Amino acid sequence: MSEKRFMKGNEAIAEAAVRAGCRFFAGYPITPQNEIPEYLSWRLPEVGGAYVQGESEIASVNMVYGAAAMGTRSMTSSSGPGISLKAEGISYLASAMLPALIVNISRGGPGLGSIQPAQSDYLQATKALGHGGFHAMVFAPNSAQEAVNVVYNAWDYAERDRNPVLVLMDGCLGNIMEEVELPPMKELSDEDLPEWSLTRRNGRDYQGNITPIYTEPILEGINAMAGEMYKAWEEEDVQVETYELDDAEYVVVAYGIASRVAKEAIMELRAEGYKIGMIRPITLFPFPKKTIHDLDYSRVKGIIDIEMTIPAQMREDIELQVAERCPVYEYGRSGGCLLDDEGVYDAIKDILTGGADNG
Amino acid sequence: MAEYKRSTQIADAPSGYCPGCLHSLATRLISDVLDELGQGDNSLNVISVGCSALNILYWNNDFLSVAHGRAPAAATGIKRTNPERLVFAYQGDGDLAAIGLAEIMSAANRGENFTVIFANNQTYGMTGGQMAPTTLIGQKTTTTVYGRDPQTTGYPMKMCELISTLEAPVYVARFALNSPKGVREAKAGIKKAFQAQLDGKGFTFVELLTNCPTNWHMTPLQTLDYMNMNTIPYFKPGVYKDKTE
Amino acid sequence: MKTSFVFSGSGGQGIMSAGITLAQTAMRMGKHATYLPEYGPQQRGGSAKCTVVISDEPIISPLPRRCDNLIAMNNLAFRRFEEDLKPGGILLTNASLVTDEVNRDDVTVIAAAVDDLALELGNAKAANIILLGILIGATDIVSKEAFAQSLEEKFKSKAPEVLALNLAALDKGIAIGQQHKA
Repeated sequence: MSEKRFMKGNEAIAEAAVRAGCRFFAGYPITPQNEIPEYLSWRLPEVGGAYVQGESEIASVNMVYGAAAMGTRSMTSSSGPGISLKAEGISYLASAMLPALIVNISRGGPGLGSIQPAQSDYLQATKALGHGGFHAMVFAPNSAQEAVNVVYNAWDYAERDRNPVLVLMDGCLGNIMEEVELPPMKELSDEDLPEWSLTRRNGRDYQGNITPIYTEPILEGINAMAGEMYKAWEEEDVQVETYELDDAEYVVVAYGIASRVAKEAIMELRAEGYKIGMIRPITLFPFPKKTIHDLDYSRVKGIIDIEMTIPAQMREDIELQVAERCPVYEYGRSGGCLLDDEGVYDAIKDILTGGADNG
Repeated sequence: MAEYKRSTQIADAPSGYCPGCLHSLATRLISDVLDELGQGDNSLNVISVGCSALNILYWNNDFLSVAHGRAPAAATGIKRTNPERLVFAYQGDGDLAAIGLAEIMSAANRGENFTVIFANNQTYGMTGGQMAPTTLIGQKTTTTVYGRDPQTTGYPMKMCELISTLEAPVYVARFALNSPKGVREAKAGIKKAFQAQLDGKGFTFVELLTNCPTNWHMTPLQTLDYMNMNTIPYFKPGVYKDKTE
Repeated sequence: MKTSFVFSGSGGQGIMSAGITLAQTAMRMGKHATYLPEYGPQQRGGSAKCTVVISDEPIISPLPRRCDNLIAMNNLAFRRFEEDLKPGGILLTNASLVTDEVNRDDVTVIAAAVDDLALELGNAKAANIILLGILIGATDIVSKEAFAQSLEEKFKSKAPEVLALNLAALDKGIAIGQQHKA
């Protein structure tokens, strides 16, 4: 049975994780994601799961590494500074081919930065979540409801790929309360445990071993397999929402909270007669390259990258696909200053009416 | 007459540990205890970083190889989700007492129900003999070429003493593997720790004083004497805490 | 129809709780609502602000630059957000603490000494519910019945006197608000 609740984004993520079968969480307090560990600290024991408050971000992600090796659906959450600390462990998860969910409720950076919301971790999330040149699928929901949907399916991807999955959401969406419809509890049994897991419960009679270290010919093969996996994601797993692209002369590209603020501005501009649309990546990795690449550049006069960070970080990914076929503009707020509908409206209008320079 | 048998948990492969290295002996002791307790198949070996990482080649039991210093954290995730398994981590001094200090102290303080076996040979063996947190005062290493100077590098960390100040741990003991008596006591200590874990009593910690002929630049026999003269007087063997009864 | 509210004051004045209760009530009535707190590092005494958007349609942007209704619980909040109120909007101030002069002549100003009124009812903590009552009385944004239901749910684990106090605060606020109804 699904049910509707008025929930904070962070709590919605936590409840969706439980319903997805998550039975282990370890984390460390950091604003603006504290509602996730707080919620799971009482919720997981209710369903026979375990919650541990780690002594650090580093310890927490390694606790997840241990639990994930047992085939338990496991997760950790944090915000930018803590994700940097978890980078080591996330890289080891990728190396040891362990599925897990990492949630980043992002804030202003770099450094301790600001506890206020920002979208300043795009590059970290999509390019270098840790050392060694690996990638994780990165989902960037733009509402509490979409966060629920994404988290509910996260382990299906993680277990399919034997690779960690990242959900990247800013502090606004983590703290916003809105209506969510919760999916039913997935009832997982011992039969659902992956065959590689180190638990004895699946009746294994051979040595179980999981390692993040390999000798040279083996590691090259594993690197190549990962490369093939990333290509397959691009073919099969891109999630993107498009809005009013059919006759668009200008196309906004925005994800997460920025996409909601931008959409409101676009609706208003459409009402005034401007031909403008939007591409909203839901997966930041794999990036919706094709959607941007295949726009009709005989009609499209400009692409506008809107992000709640300065300078824009998604811009290079967009520019690679635009390939100089039209100008790319950017607008953002940063450092904990939030985007707002009028600010975005003014910035876009400025570009549409030729007031803004390219770039 | 006692029959000498190969431990079932040790792989049928030549050891890659240096000749005379006591890691081999420690491995053998743990494996024998697992056999005696009938826990070979049920055991889960959390393999740390350093020479101890070579254990991925020598064990038959299930293992999870983990990041440097993080074995107690990974073991926490394992044991909390699979309490029925006998979980142990084997960590060296750099892994446990330097980069992993937060993890070992916090896991001990939470009273996690697993066993940590700490091999203390006062050096970073795999990386070529740098100073470890347990390197003795005056001891020469590749990063303390004139001998460890406490003015700039502090003093050797006494992990049993530190951990035994915590409330939660149930068994904390140190043994020296350079004598038959020490070896016998160490085996009994490991067995006691594993049994306490099987009985659900809580965190157990066994420190084993070991050697490093290669990086100490000594023959194996010389290392055993060096341990008597230098290591054992500073790192005193004994049971530091026993709440298992 | 989309209406936005900014509740502002300092920590401990019931700002966040007022915002959540209003948004929850709107949802109870089948409307769409978002509640966004602005959080600071201080646990007590820092500035507190939340933005609530209520709409008949699903809400796209939860981040309006300007609001239709500004509720200011003290001078600091009032000065900080006065300019964010849209022309034609409602400025509702806690006159017990907001003593600064209002510079806007393009908005409806309702000044009510809700701290004093709450004390008269027997508990200073009810001030935020009086404020919400005034809003409800002046705008009909949610029904009295639905809001009372939210209060019942909110205080179900507390002593019955707590609910009674809050319901009295609601009535008192609504009576004041109705006098200002456009």
